[in-house]
Amino acid sequence: MTDPGWTHAAFAKPSDAQDALERLAEAGVAASEIEVRSSIPLGHEVCPVGPQVHSRVPLMAVLGGLMGGTIAILLVTLTSRAYPLPTGGMPIVPLPTAGVITFEGLALGAILCTVATVFFECRLPRLGVPAGPFDRMLADGSIVIAVRSDRVPSQWAAKATATAPTESQ
Amino acid sequence: MAAPANTAKEAALLRPITGVRPGLILGSLVTGALAGLLFFSWGYQIKNDIGVAGINRPVFWGFYITNFVFWIGISHAGTLISAILRVTSAEWRRPVTRCAEAITVFALTIGGLFPLIHLGRPWLFWFMIPFPNSRGLWPNFRSPLVWDMMAIGTYLTGSVLYLLLPLLPDMAILRDRAMAETPASLKARLFSFMALGWRGTTQQWHSLEAGIKVMAVIIIPVAVSVHTIVSWDFSMTLAPMWHSTIFGPYFVVGAIYSGIGVLMVAMYLLRRGLGLQEYLNDKVFNNLGLLFVAFTVIWTYFTAAEHITVWYGHEPSEMAVFWERVSGDYALVFWGMILVNTVIPLAVLSFRWGRKPFATAVVGFGVLIGMWIERFLIVVGTLRLPRMEFTVGTYSPSWVELGILVGSFGMFAMLYFLFVQFAPIVSLWEVREGDHIAGSAAASPEPVTEEAVR
Repeated sequence: MTDPGWTHAAFAKPSDAQDALERLAEAGVAASEIEVRSSIPLGHEVCPVGPQVHSRVPLMAVLGGLMGGTIAILLVTLTSRAYPLPTGGMPIVPLPTAGVITFEGLALGAILCTVATVFFECRLPRLGVPAGPFDRMLADGSIVIAVRSDRVPSQWAAKATATAPTESQ
Repeated sequence: MAAPANTAKEAALLRPITGVRPGLILGSLVTGALAGLLFFSWGYQIKNDIGVAGINRPVFWGFYITNFVFWIGISHAGTLISAILRVTSAEWRRPVTRCAEAITVFALTIGGLFPLIHLGRPWLFWFMIPFPNSRGLWPNFRSPLVWDMMAIGTYLTGSVLYLLLPLLPDMAILRDRAMAETPASLKARLFSFMALGWRGTTQQWHSLEAGIKVMAVIIIPVAVSVHTIVSWDFSMTLAPMWHSTIFGPYFVVGAIYSGIGVLMVAMYLLRRGLGLQEYLNDKVFNNLGLLFVAFTVIWTYFTAAEHITVWYGHEPSEMAVFWERVSGDYALVFWGMILVNTVIPLAVLSFRWGRKPFATAVVGFGVLIGMWIERFLIVVGTLRLPRMEFTVGTYSPSWVELGILVGSFGMFAMLYFLFVQFAPIVSLWEVREGDHIAGSAAASPEPVTEEAVR
């Protein structure tokens, strides 16, 4: 975070970053006041003690698929019935051919919903956000931890390769 | 470091983006000129009408539909292969995925042009879009051509997003470096825009990984559906050697086969041209070579099954097409196809010495030619010999069709040249993650199983 009131520290190793997070937890700093950033996914290897992050992407993909499939089948059904072609006694909306369109609609709905959910959960796009103090180090592979709390213990970032003082940005 | 950024290794990868490579610029210009040939030829056809093409009764589908099927097949190189490798957690996928996914997007873009070119009057394309036109008509959803549009539209949308999602963290890496060095530069601003504000928080990584996994699962059946539906353009008719129950899987296998072929050629050229030996190493070529052997066998099996069934049935109109291929006008190209698609791949790639970068690229190039021939034989071979014998005809492409064919390859290469200069052709964060996992496994006091480091 680049807002005033955040303390940043860059760590070279995940174990050092995790050590810092444990010190913060011991000092009673809530997970909501800590932000961990990295250039690769570290999963639960380096994360603040407290509620774990979660994602609703799979659920939203299923809902998006259902929605897309429903729209597709409605498109086929309603348009075919609105302008019925002479089919020589065969059904106006044959299920096998409607099934092809429905499948593609289902897949498209799931894809679009998946991407929309990823963007929503990631709070993207966020253009115009100024750079943080250690973004360059982040790009080179460091782990950056930012803390917003007045209870930050003095030695929490003892193993950091660099720190930025509070309200320095 | 969490993901030890091997700067020397990454420098080779980022050089085309951060610096100026005359070779790449020259390549872009040359291939751009070839792409211009496509648009010149197409423009000539639009001005003078479709009659300037060689297609005529009864061969209404010539080079254009051959190219359409070929390029849609090539598009199976990327997203499908990448998704399969991701779903199966194959560690060696990491340097391969992005160059494969880019192939998909560019090949689909080009493949999607051919129905427009074939229309003759491309401005009437909107008749296919499902909304009431001035005559109150709706598209006929029973038509495989409408299925094509839906399937290709879905696959293209999915493939573009599947390429762009994993690109966000890499764009953020480029942004952070550029902002630290030259914050006012155009590239810094471009990377800032393309990164969309990606920061690499725990939540962002968790959501992105979930999104990529879900997309990988969705995109596999979509890719299979695309080429199945393309095959149904043919097999839903009663034309000889088209009306086949195995055409769907036959086309899908052929698509993946040609896709791996173009991937091998692209990877070899990237390795040589950009010095990416550390990423696209011998192990990657060996593994892809093994996959190639498997698809050689599967494609050969399908081809044999298709022809043996027709031969055993001995239905006269089917046999006319059969003999045309085996010992008639197209025998030379048919047996040439068997040579480059079956004999040479098996002779070279079955052995470890053959699964080296240069050899696999040469074999891959041969398979590309072979698969184009296969598409041509399917499209033109059957249309020349329809069931009603009095309509038997011939086909030879005009310079317009040849220009568009050559131009399509130029356009594909140009798009690839441009992409390499704009984004890392190997996913930085995925390779770093792989290095991190390998480092953790090596440092682990627990015995590391083969599964853990796979």
